[in-house]
Amino acid sequence: MDQRRSVSDLFNPLRPESNRNPPLYPSLIPKTLISLPKRGQNPSGAQKPPAMETTVSYQRFPKVRIREMKDEYCKFELRETDASMANALRRVMIAEVPTVAIDLVEIEVNSSVLNDEFIAHRLGLIPLTSDNAMRMRFSRDCDSCDGDGQCEFCSVEFHLNVCCDSDQTLDVTSADLRSAEASVIPVDLAVKALAMESSSTSYEAAEQRGIIIVKLRRGQELRLRAIARKGIGKDHAKWSPAATVTFMYEPDIHINEDLMETLSLDEKRAWIESSPTKVFDLDPNTGQVVVVDPEAYTYDDEVIKKAEAMGKPGLVEINAKEDSFIFTVESTGAIKASQLVLNAIDVLRQKLDAVRLQDAEENDFSELKAHLG
Amino acid sequence: MNAPDRYERFVVPEGTKKVSYERDTKIVNAASFTIEREDHTIGNILRMQLHRDPNVLFAGYKLPHPLQYKILVRIHTTSQSSPSQAYRQGIEDLDKELQYLKKAFEEEKIRYEEKQRLSY
Ligand SMILES: [Zn+2]
Repeated sequence: MDQRRSVSDLFNPLRPESNRNPPLYPSLIPKTLISLPKRGQNPSGAQKPPAMETTVSYQRFPKVRIREMKDEYCKFELRETDASMANALRRVMIAEVPTVAIDLVEIEVNSSVLNDEFIAHRLGLIPLTSDNAMRMRFSRDCDSCDGDGQCEFCSVEFHLNVCCDSDQTLDVTSADLRSAEASVIPVDLAVKALAMESSSTSYEAAEQRGIIIVKLRRGQELRLRAIARKGIGKDHAKWSPAATVTFMYEPDIHINEDLMETLSLDEKRAWIESSPTKVFDLDPNTGQVVVVDPEAYTYDDEVIKKAEAMGKPGLVEINAKEDSFIFTVESTGAIKASQLVLNAIDVLRQKLDAVRLQDAEENDFSELKAHLG
Repeated sequence: MNAPDRYERFVVPEGTKKVSYERDTKIVNAASFTIEREDHTIGNILRMQLHRDPNVLFAGYKLPHPLQYKILVRIHTTSQSSPSQAYRQGIEDLDKELQYLKKAFEEEKIRYEEKQRLSY
């Protein structure tokens, strides 16, 4: 108590002084650890936004270009940011964007060949349409149901009741799951329904029979109740909305034309062939080596080694652009691939918001304590 | 039986702060931040953002152990700034960048869809 009062009394006079102190041991700062911003702080483009704050800002203004976008697939370029941001987005898409998946299974009857746990696990892995997941609550912090996680805000109930009474083996599939909520159903059924609607496209999807859970023979039965909950891939991979998320650095390829012209046509061909992927080709008219697909380059260094082996070091120079990335996002279908990217941005912002310093007082407090010894 | 609680990895235990701050006792304008229940995702973007601040002399983070769900961020600044000021600024800039990125992605998505529609 006593100490606290004296601290708050001293609070104002001491605080500015602590900031005025010069660094005590500047020579102890290892030079190699001093990090300086690499690129100009001014973002390049002209239509740059806000002059909103009085304080300086080191914010970046990333650019996006979508190359290809389907419901479950998206390929886009991300520029004018760094690898840490690209990687954070990738990590969040895989492990922290929420979806809904079956998490609790109550088996009433199971006379199938698979044991209860096995079936519960298989049910969990069925992707469910999760467009509402961002708005749902996690069962663990849902206050509408006291922690048991079975209310409309945090869960969706499923029922399954299948019995085989013929001599033919019966497949129990995702199509046998009856959902209590129309917006949360197995992804394959949603895709099928969509394909039936617009009968023109992909009738392959309409032919699908659903994801097989177990097979039953005559007399066997499976009856259960399942609760689907909101979750994230970090908890269990069944909640991950991402099938694959990758990014690559865009390569910057420079051919030394003068040196290249010292090569014979056969040498050029041999050099082109040394690349395991088709990055270069020979222009049939001019006989020049041209870059046909820079992104096919896998940073394998084979063409560089080949050039050296041919006695032509420096024939080609290949660098990874440090601020340009090509993303490939594939979704499980739980949410659209483009939505996955947008949700990842939201989730990352929420995470940043959670790690904000709560109050200045706290920090000044500990700074003060240090002063008082 | 002795399996750790499933959400031990995401939920900050009661009585523990999400972010705690500890001033360096020997060096002025140096401090460590302990961030509970976060990993490389936050650690690395924060570190790289701090590197863009010319007043930051050193910024680094570590994940001490994969089973301790926390990261340590260490910041050393010039006398023109302070670790908590740099930290605040870093978070603020990252947040604004993401806000900008979201708008950019949404606009690009609309543009792309429009282009697809016209090509049919
Ligand atoms: Zn609930």
